[in-house]
Amino acid sequence: MRVYSIRAPADRYSIDLLERNYRLRHTIFVDMQGWEAIRRPDRRDIDAFDTGDATHLLLLDGEELVGGSRFTPLDKPNLLQTVFPGLVQGTFPAPPSHGADWTRFYVRPDRREGRRRAPESAALFCAMMEYALLEGYCFITFVSTIYMLEHGVSMGWRITPLGAPALIDGKPTLAAWIEVSEEALANVRRVTGQTAPMLVERGMSHDTLPAPAAARH
Amino acid sequence: MNADFMSIIEAIQQQTDSAGIREIMYGAIENYGFRSFIISGLPDRGQDVRPFVLLSGWNEEWYERYADLGYVHLDPVARNCFSTTKPFDWSDAPYDREADLPARRVMEEARDFGMDEGFCVPIHMEGGMQGAVSLVGGTQELDDKRRLELHMLALYAHGQLRFLSSSRPDLAPRRAITGRESEVLKWVAAGKTAGEIADITGLSTRTVNQHCENAQQRLGTNNRVHTVVEAIRHKLITL
Repeated sequence: MRVYSIRAPADRYSIDLLERNYRLRHTIFVDMQGWEAIRRPDRRDIDAFDTGDATHLLLLDGEELVGGSRFTPLDKPNLLQTVFPGLVQGTFPAPPSHGADWTRFYVRPDRREGRRRAPESAALFCAMMEYALLEGYCFITFVSTIYMLEHGVSMGWRITPLGAPALIDGKPTLAAWIEVSEEALANVRRVTGQTAPMLVERGMSHDTLPAPAAARH
Repeated sequence: MNADFMSIIEAIQQQTDSAGIREIMYGAIENYGFRSFIISGLPDRGQDVRPFVLLSGWNEEWYERYADLGYVHLDPVARNCFSTTKPFDWSDAPYDREADLPARRVMEEARDFGMDEGFCVPIHMEGGMQGAVSLVGGTQELDDKRRLELHMLALYAHGQLRFLSSSRPDLAPRRAITGRESEVLKWVAAGKTAGEIADITGLSTRTVNQHCENAQQRLGTNNRVHTVVEAIRHKLITL
């Protein structure tokens, strides 16, 4: 498994991968999780934040897309401050340019069933911390049900609420930030048994592109 | 979130052993009217609960009895954790009071140990694993806001205990590259070519390249620069 980070895709492979991501997101978030508000007739989940500012971390197993996440710099229009300002009562730990908003986390449901800790989500969690360190972010914000607090803390992440939880669709939901640090990366790697970096850059420049996975192994 | 609550959850995350968490939890739950607590995973049917317990403040005698007799599989409070994500009062854990005699026995015996009332927070982990944070004490004073705070407190405490129990130092990752590989990478980091490194180390150029490729494979990196960067970042080589 490997995680590609894609931003403003330039090559055909990345554009195609991003397209598959939008369709899979629609299946998962709309069809399976019932987010009717974002349903679209073309069955692609694309919102106001899927812009050139967004970076997509996409998890591939072979050539199959099995998970993903999206990051938006907090000094650009973002979901947290646009859609959920009511959940934010506290202040960020650093200027907005030092943080990113984490949204649309998913692992394909058939990959999560009956697994004690699915390697797919472990890979994505490792990759997101690698990505945040690489970009020089010092915090990551998110909006989630409060259950994410247990998941994150159990991986050795420091998580601080940005405000009190509110009931959204009947579920206690909060905004919070995760501290980005080498320690957080070491902890999530240790807990998930991940020893090697997961993140592969893609779509930044043709010169540095690794050979297609099929050719590598 | 008030400042006290924020400092409690910050303190939980700073603890490096379960004794520290025990102390913070006792101090915190007292303010909500609770006397004691247990934090535990819930075993599959027939399994002993003891290996799943992360932190227990139960009365010793009750704890042993509860574990020895497999009460976790009969206890309506523990069973209810499998069917709800919402925290609940012990008294609201459903069971058939007429027909389910084993469940009634557990509830009645708990009462004999002074545990007649309580509040339970189910914990749902990835892959269908279940846990619970169960607090002993009256719930009459709890409004929705305080219930939500206790819910969050339970999630933080359970998460941190799970982290501590899974990150024992004896499970720390081993050195990911060999001594020879790290020696070669140090020369790469110093700007030497494969030919130069061969001259310095007395290895063949081919072997030098092989060491680099092996290190690259072990670290899962894409090229020589990436390998050196990762090796430095993980303190596998020092310059």
